[in-house]
Amino acid sequence: MDFQQASKEVLSIAKKIGLKNVDALVERTEELEVQIRDGKVEKVEQSTSLGLGVRVLNEGRSGFASTEKLDQQTIERALLKARSNSDFQDPVEIFMPEAESVQVDERKLELYHEDLNQLNVEDLSRMGLETEAAARETDPRLTAIPYLGVSKNISERMLVSTHGVEHSERSNQIGAYCGTLLEEGERRKSGFEFWSQRKWDPEAGRRLGIRAVEKASELLRATSIESRKMPVVLDEYCSPRLLSMYFRGFYGEAAQKGTSRLKGRLNEEIAVTGLTLLDDPHLPGGGASRTLDDEGIPTKPIKLIDSGIFSHFLYHVESGAKEGLSSSGHASRNYDSGISTTTHNLVIETGEHSLEGLCSIPEECLLVTQLDGAAGCNPISGDISIGVQGFLYKNGQRVQPVDSVTIAGNFFDLLLNIRGFGDRYQPNLSSRFIPALLVEGFSISG
Amino acid sequence: MIEQETLSKILEHGITKGADFAEVFVEDSLTSSFNLIDQKIDQIQSSNSFGIGIRLLYGDEAYYGYSSDPDEANLIKLTGNLSESGHAGSSESLRPLQQQPIEDIHHVAVNPESVSGRERVDLLRKFDENTRSQSEAIQQVNANMHEKQRKVLIANSEGLLVEDSRDYARMRLSAIAEKGDGPQSAAESPGVLGGYEFFREIDVEKISREAAESALLMADAGYIEGGTMPVVLGNGFGGVIFHEACGHPLETEAIRKNASPFCGKLGERVAQPVLTAIDDGTLSQRWGSLNIDDEGLPSKRTVLIENGVLKSYLSDRIGAKQVEMERTGSARRESYKFAPVSRMRNTFIDNGKDSFDDMIASVDFGLFAKKMGGGSVNPATGEFNFAVQEGYAIRKGKIAEPVRGATLIGKGFEVLPRISMIGNDLELAAGMCGASSGWVPTTVGQPSLKIDSILVGGR
Repeated sequence: MDFQQASKEVLSIAKKIGLKNVDALVERTEELEVQIRDGKVEKVEQSTSLGLGVRVLNEGRSGFASTEKLDQQTIERALLKARSNSDFQDPVEIFMPEAESVQVDERKLELYHEDLNQLNVEDLSRMGLETEAAARETDPRLTAIPYLGVSKNISERMLVSTHGVEHSERSNQIGAYCGTLLEEGERRKSGFEFWSQRKWDPEAGRRLGIRAVEKASELLRATSIESRKMPVVLDEYCSPRLLSMYFRGFYGEAAQKGTSRLKGRLNEEIAVTGLTLLDDPHLPGGGASRTLDDEGIPTKPIKLIDSGIFSHFLYHVESGAKEGLSSSGHASRNYDSGISTTTHNLVIETGEHSLEGLCSIPEECLLVTQLDGAAGCNPISGDISIGVQGFLYKNGQRVQPVDSVTIAGNFFDLLLNIRGFGDRYQPNLSSRFIPALLVEGFSISG
Repeated sequence: MIEQETLSKILEHGITKGADFAEVFVEDSLTSSFNLIDQKIDQIQSSNSFGIGIRLLYGDEAYYGYSSDPDEANLIKLTGNLSESGHAGSSESLRPLQQQPIEDIHHVAVNPESVSGRERVDLLRKFDENTRSQSEAIQQVNANMHEKQRKVLIANSEGLLVEDSRDYARMRLSAIAEKGDGPQSAAESPGVLGGYEFFREIDVEKISREAAESALLMADAGYIEGGTMPVVLGNGFGGVIFHEACGHPLETEAIRKNASPFCGKLGERVAQPVLTAIDDGTLSQRWGSLNIDDEGLPSKRTVLIENGVLKSYLSDRIGAKQVEMERTGSARRESYKFAPVSRMRNTFIDNGKDSFDDMIASVDFGLFAKKMGGGSVNPATGEFNFAVQEGYAIRKGKIAEPVRGATLIGKGFEVLPRISMIGNDLELAAGMCGASSGWVPTTVGQPSLKIDSILVGGR
């Protein structure tokens, strides 16, 4: 049974067994990945995966089940399992959403590019081999390239419901990654770089290989610095990564469950006045652009922080219902998961400073170009404690590469301590449009 | 799960197209998850995962594909697509499939399917009530039961045909305490390779108390002043540091790429003589144990470091060939969607002879990291980072005030020789380990131990 048939079949079986409130998500993904080592293709992976997830709503109680076997009998079993799972959920006053018309032309979101489909193993291998060759030419201290791959995928999703929702979307993308190892005496340093887009760029491999070596080379002689308080500049790659660990504080369900420090703080000043955080689901080419969310609710742009003022929580149907509100169109699910909240594309406007310019503002600062792990970052308390690598700047001059240090602070303090915004976003396909940030008040341990 | 004739045809197709080795991995898994939060049963989810992974090896090149469609023609076509990408090698003859029995060292006493949803819901509520009863400052409790029944079949062109069934049961309890300085969370997550009996025997009171106490202590705690200092690591999940900082770089997946500080160091001293470290997939009912690995080889006990000397890496088929060592039964994968690579199972530092009190008494100022949170490592450089879930300052040889927000960072091969004292209170703890073949259940473990100096991130 294929993708289209499965979505039709699930509604017909639901009707047959008397289930009136059902929605289903069918997902199909095709992937191709090539990995390169020592001038040769080392591994090729190609796959097609298909899965169907159903939600049964039974007098305010939801139950979920999913299957990767798509035949009539298994789909019926999944529906019955979801129905029996719903018996045990505590009820919430919710109803399955009715179909709403989509106001935005999905083609304008630029989620799908036909030319990527033409790329085959040879094309991907060529890009990988060019990446490797470029990396090898860049620095004689390169001793290994343990990670080098090029991949592409197409994803198709279809959401249907017994209440008339019938929505499909299709997206594709291509990406490559390169992880290098440089050695000099006892020193070892790796550099990791990736590239991802929805459009093919035959030159991307060379740039990727060179940059992956440069990143290791720049930090190869890094040393620690003494513990102190110091301003930090997070570059345009690190700022979205660090901030993204804490955005779940903006979820209505997090506040309801006591896992958000923003609970009860709507309309309060939580950030510098220069900061507006916009969730924009309609950005052309955005990594998380959507016309409908995963419950079939039309999406719309929403400001979470408006000139420093906390202005909106994000909701799906159930979390909204708990506060007597409508969904804000932020439901997320995979075929094998329940409903949760998500952000779409998060946007902080760029400022006027180049990265070097930002580093010239304070007398002394640490430019962070690499975050090591996330385990010390607590999305509930907002605490930040994380190993970083980068460069020490004094009077606008780069004076030494730095590793073996941690930075510590709190996300909610960070929002109030931003002193400058960079003038660009990182160039890869992403759902985070957040520039480099100059932030005061971090403790550095070294 | 799939006809033997179909398996044979796939393997034959791969070999006749020039592959040196062909393998089929079939998986049919049932997963169920019951979740309680905010004193309510929140989401209940059941999943059936099914698919077939096909791997062809041409010398050092690997071709992997998978599909959830068991139709024979589809699988033959997939094999053909993989073969066309490969370069013809020196194909060896195909051996007929012969079913091999496995020694089932892990037993399921209570089949999860025989247990009602009501019993699960009642258990979750018991955890919630017990945890909240510890203090009014406990603001939130999240209790989750996760169960998985994983049936796998492995067939390869060397004639191997073997099936295994793996049942997993795991409880995760998270408590959030608030005492006016922001919410602080702590979690306990025990798990076994076994059936529902795990939940019937679980010590609700102890797990609830430990999660609540840890969160309450951290809600009261101040921040530690960062810097390089001696650290005493608590037993059990403290072993996550060895797992990340030394275990991953000892996998042939890192060694074969010359991307580990332990390359070429077999037989050399890498730690003080007090340290012996083991990776053992045969421990009964342990979360990281296996009857057979995901290439069909019986699981083993592998001594990694013995009295400070590096003895072995952990290998899969490709790694063993390239590093020129025996396979250690360590090939693992999250599901049919991943090709197998060498991974850890139950990895631990063995008991030593030092007493915990002597370790604390030997520190003038430092950190006692009683419970660790998660962490990660760059295997190529050995650079690691870890969060401390529950920590205390050590002052003048005594455990002093609780501290929060601490992280430990360093390089594995540099920290290993600085482990100077090892206790005799070995405990193991369940965790999930992520790497190139996905997330697999692993156990970490150690007795209490002292690291003479390590960088502690704080404020």
